[in-house]
Amino acid sequence: MKISYNWLKEHLPLELSATELAGHLLKIGFEVAGHERLGPTFTGVVVGKVVSKEKHPNADKLSVCVVDDGATKRTVVCGAPNVDAGQTVAYARPGAVLPGGFKIEGRKLRGVESQGMICSRSELGLPKDVDGIWVMGEGPALGADVGALLGPADDILEVEVTTNRPDCLSHRGLARELAAYFHKELKPLGGGMVESAKLSFPVTVEDGEACPFYGGRLIEGVTVGESPAWLKTKLEAIGLRPINSVVDITNFVLHDIGQPLHAFDADKLAGGKIIIRRSKKGENLLALDHKTYDLPEGLLVIADGEKPVALAGVMGGEDSAVTTATKRIILEGAFFNPAEARKSSQKTRLRSDSSYRFERGTDPEAPRAAADRAAGLILQIAGGAAAKPVEVSSPFVTGTRIHTSADKLNTILGASFSSDEIVSVLKSIAKDLSGNASDLGFMPPAWRHDLKTANDLAEEVGRFLGYDNIPYRMAPMVTRTARLTPVETKSRRVRTRLAALGLWEAYNYDLVSEKTLAACRLTADGQPRVAQPLSEDWAVMRSSLLPGLLKNAQYNVSRGADTVRFFEIGKTYAIRDKEVDETWRVAGISLGPVLDARWQTARAPRASFYDGKAIVEDLLEGAGPIAWAKLSEPAAGKTPSDPLFHPTNSLRAVINGTPVATVGWLHPRVARAFDLEREGAIVFDANLDWLAGREIPPARYEDFSALPVSRRDLALVLDKATPYARLEAVIRDCLVPDLQSVLLFDVYEGKNLPEGKVSLAIRLTFGRFDRTLTDPEVAKAVETIVAALAKELGASLRG
Amino acid sequence: MTRADWEKSYVSAESALRDAGVENADLLKLEEVRVRFMGRKGALTELLKSLKDLSIEDKRELGPKAQGLKASFDALIDARKAALEDAGDAAALEKDAIDLTLPAIRPPKGRLHPLTTTLHEIARTFQLMGYSWAEGPFVEDERHNFSALNIPEGHPARDSHDTFYLQGLPLLLRTHTSTVQIHTMESIRPPLRVVCPGRAFRHEQIDATHSAIFHQVEGLVVDENIGLADLKGHLQTLLQKLLGASTKTRFRPSYFPFTEPSTEVDVKCFFCPGTGCAACKHTGWIEILGAGVVNPAVFKAAGYDEQKWSGFAFGVGVERVAMLLHGVPDIRAFYTNDLKFLKQFDENLL
Repeated sequence: MKISYNWLKEHLPLELSATELAGHLLKIGFEVAGHERLGPTFTGVVVGKVVSKEKHPNADKLSVCVVDDGATKRTVVCGAPNVDAGQTVAYARPGAVLPGGFKIEGRKLRGVESQGMICSRSELGLPKDVDGIWVMGEGPALGADVGALLGPADDILEVEVTTNRPDCLSHRGLARELAAYFHKELKPLGGGMVESAKLSFPVTVEDGEACPFYGGRLIEGVTVGESPAWLKTKLEAIGLRPINSVVDITNFVLHDIGQPLHAFDADKLAGGKIIIRRSKKGENLLALDHKTYDLPEGLLVIADGEKPVALAGVMGGEDSAVTTATKRIILEGAFFNPAEARKSSQKTRLRSDSSYRFERGTDPEAPRAAADRAAGLILQIAGGAAAKPVEVSSPFVTGTRIHTSADKLNTILGASFSSDEIVSVLKSIAKDLSGNASDLGFMPPAWRHDLKTANDLAEEVGRFLGYDNIPYRMAPMVTRTARLTPVETKSRRVRTRLAALGLWEAYNYDLVSEKTLAACRLTADGQPRVAQPLSEDWAVMRSSLLPGLLKNAQYNVSRGADTVRFFEIGKTYAIRDKEVDETWRVAGISLGPVLDARWQTARAPRASFYDGKAIVEDLLEGAGPIAWAKLSEPAAGKTPSDPLFHPTNSLRAVINGTPVATVGWLHPRVARAFDLEREGAIVFDANLDWLAGREIPPARYEDFSALPVSRRDLALVLDKATPYARLEAVIRDCLVPDLQSVLLFDVYEGKNLPEGKVSLAIRLTFGRFDRTLTDPEVAKAVETIVAALAKELGASLRG
Repeated sequence: MTRADWEKSYVSAESALRDAGVENADLLKLEEVRVRFMGRKGALTELLKSLKDLSIEDKRELGPKAQGLKASFDALIDARKAALEDAGDAAALEKDAIDLTLPAIRPPKGRLHPLTTTLHEIARTFQLMGYSWAEGPFVEDERHNFSALNIPEGHPARDSHDTFYLQGLPLLLRTHTSTVQIHTMESIRPPLRVVCPGRAFRHEQIDATHSAIFHQVEGLVVDENIGLADLKGHLQTLLQKLLGASTKTRFRPSYFPFTEPSTEVDVKCFFCPGTGCAACKHTGWIEILGAGVVNPAVFKAAGYDEQKWSGFAFGVGVERVAMLLHGVPDIRAFYTNDLKFLKQFDENLL
């Protein structure tokens, strides 16, 4: 809200500078977001008369003028083409300072001494009217200060008023707040007028709860024209455009005392009557903003005998608007229920200075005084004769008395203000304060809808006595041991683990586009959606973290990154039984060289399925034994991300029968959609909620042998179709007691091997706790294993 | 052996040693010399052995002499050995030389997102003050997001909460983490202290300073006789931990429906000496969080006895703090996941 400091001072005499005032406003909860200075930004410029004008002897485009400033006549060289003898001009004498600190001094111009300068409007920082100097016209006395003629300087403050303080949405409202804060008296409100006309018209209020007060006053014989300068200056100062005298007066009163008013052209009201009623089906209103609004049924409207002429508290209609042709007006001053005004404004998406105030709550007692003030001004400016107002009122509960004590207010603040200070603050706000400091009865003024409880009063005391005067205190009691949630505990472990594995944490939005989902082969069907998305990109709540990560990978690869390793911890969503299920998940993507060692190894190893498998194994460490299942196996179950994975080159980690995580290649179509088909991206996705629910016991010490072990390397030739896991299983099933581990260290196919065969090199490690094994013992064990492999898998030792 | 014989042997051994060329010997030659003098039949060995044939007096006189010769022999051999080893080392070292200026070979490196570390930095300070971690759903109903927080239907404060409503469901995406205040009070009894970090959603166009999805750290303390002073103490502690011990704070009155009295907290601008700059919008102060004493209406809605309990609540914008701490000019950078951006936060491990 724009506040003119001069205007404010008409209600409350203040000696502060505008900057100081802004400081005080901030301390009592009104932020000043902007401060603009209006008025002259120059000094030493006076009204002068051009006595004579001659051509400059040495310059074609310059004139030599003699300017009379009432006291002396001086020679001035002027370059403006429009300068002429006889003109009244703005004359900057030597010593004048123009906007921007430009100092005027006597100096020679092409050999002629020039004493001062004849100014253009733009040189004075004023809006430009014509090219050349400012010709002022007859009137102002010679030697008069031009700055003073322009009217006093003003400071325009952009004051932010929080939604609980609609009472401060006007100059007088804010002045009233400051008067209470500074313990000063507001100046009495001027006005008053004679009611000479005996005219009346019927007013019907159909819903007294929605409109507890309606006053309408008929004024006839008005001549509507341009507003006087003082009024236009005021409105323009706070950024309003003057329209005509009557409309300007209602706008003025709104910004002066905060009560929205409306003036109708009485001759345009069908049936010469006013009805405050609910809108009916099919009704509409051509509003003052020249737009037609279809009114949903049930909004509060002001209607004449036929149709709505205003949306109550929001905006009037164009058809009944006051114009310069208007002769009779009805001036409305009303109190509308805030909820009604808000409903109307929201349903029609129409907002105005009036609706802004009504929906926050205006002073129910203000309409009459405001309408009187406006009527008085109308008679004064537009003439005419006013009748007594027609008023319809219904009971309306304003505030109720708040019972509290100075101690209670101090407790809420944690402060130790004296009873006297507290009482004095409360008294400055409400005239009606009963009891004493230990039993206070505070009756909120009618305009303070926000004061209902002791906490509200504590804030008043805190604001006026200063938040700065409330101590810093540390509530001492530690109520219970601080704890983390299981998900947070797990998230931290997962985060550090994945970062240590060389993955960067990413943050993506929870909303995705259908297009992205389709590119991921995921469906938007059955996913929760937002009703009015900001754009298509934000339509659907994600069912998987991977679409976001794929976009991140695509983004970075397209910008030249060759290694991209990301993970994200976030929520995924699904609808279940008309509720939205939220699941914490962790997902990731890895592509490109794993090791940054290109100068040493020409082809550094790139992320592969097995790299992803390691990440998932690490992620699940401690959660239980992992059984790997292909996505097509029943044990794997189904997850929302499945269609995104490669159907055969992907695995599900199943722990104790629960599918927990997936790792694999991208489905080729998905890889193509994100331009990752050449990158060999590996993705994984795990259920963090499930992981968080697993207690991971502390590590337990296990005895380990200090004795040397025996190692035997075998190169086995098998059918290529034999999965490595089968080989391990067969070896395990031999139940060789001293076998400690099996390590695969080479996979070879090609030259020197028959078609369809593969060679696997494994290292068997044998050992015991009590003694070292003898060579024959180890040889026997190896023999057993080789025999089993030959029998079960047809494996032979490579020669 | 007579003393004269012995002395003769001594002189010849001494001179043989002088002529043995130990100074230039390589390891092989050195071994040869050692055997020649100290082997089983070595000249020095013999000399020492033959001491036993002399009289007690001679032994007493010549014994030390013989020992002296052996010591100087040992010293000579050792010195040469050491010299040879040094020379060998030098050669090996020269052969070992690698180019130390080649780039480091590193295993893949990963780090945490700057919002994670900022959020944890904020939460950690409160955890040290006894606040537990609490969470709530991101998808909410009207009650938890608005009405229980004293923002009833038709309240103008709803205007500042541009809300994502869900299609076909009476649900919305929470517009602030204050919802967790209600969830917490519905599930645990006072007294309590919780921080509730998490995502919030606002239906507003995204630009350099607005993100429709963002993070907050909400806090709630409920106890007996809690006042605005406690809020000031706790939040000042946070801000001084987060931004430095000399951080100056300013608490000014404001309005939130769910707190009364309410305050907005500013910190003295740390980009300019209070003279005003773009970061502080030329005011010398930077707004950093909103807070207040819990409105009794909220206790009532959550089922707490508002006569007995009092408390305070606050909300810190994580993106805002991260932008200030790291000088990030555009909030969207946090959600683009450009590796060139993320790699600037090299210290980000929990």
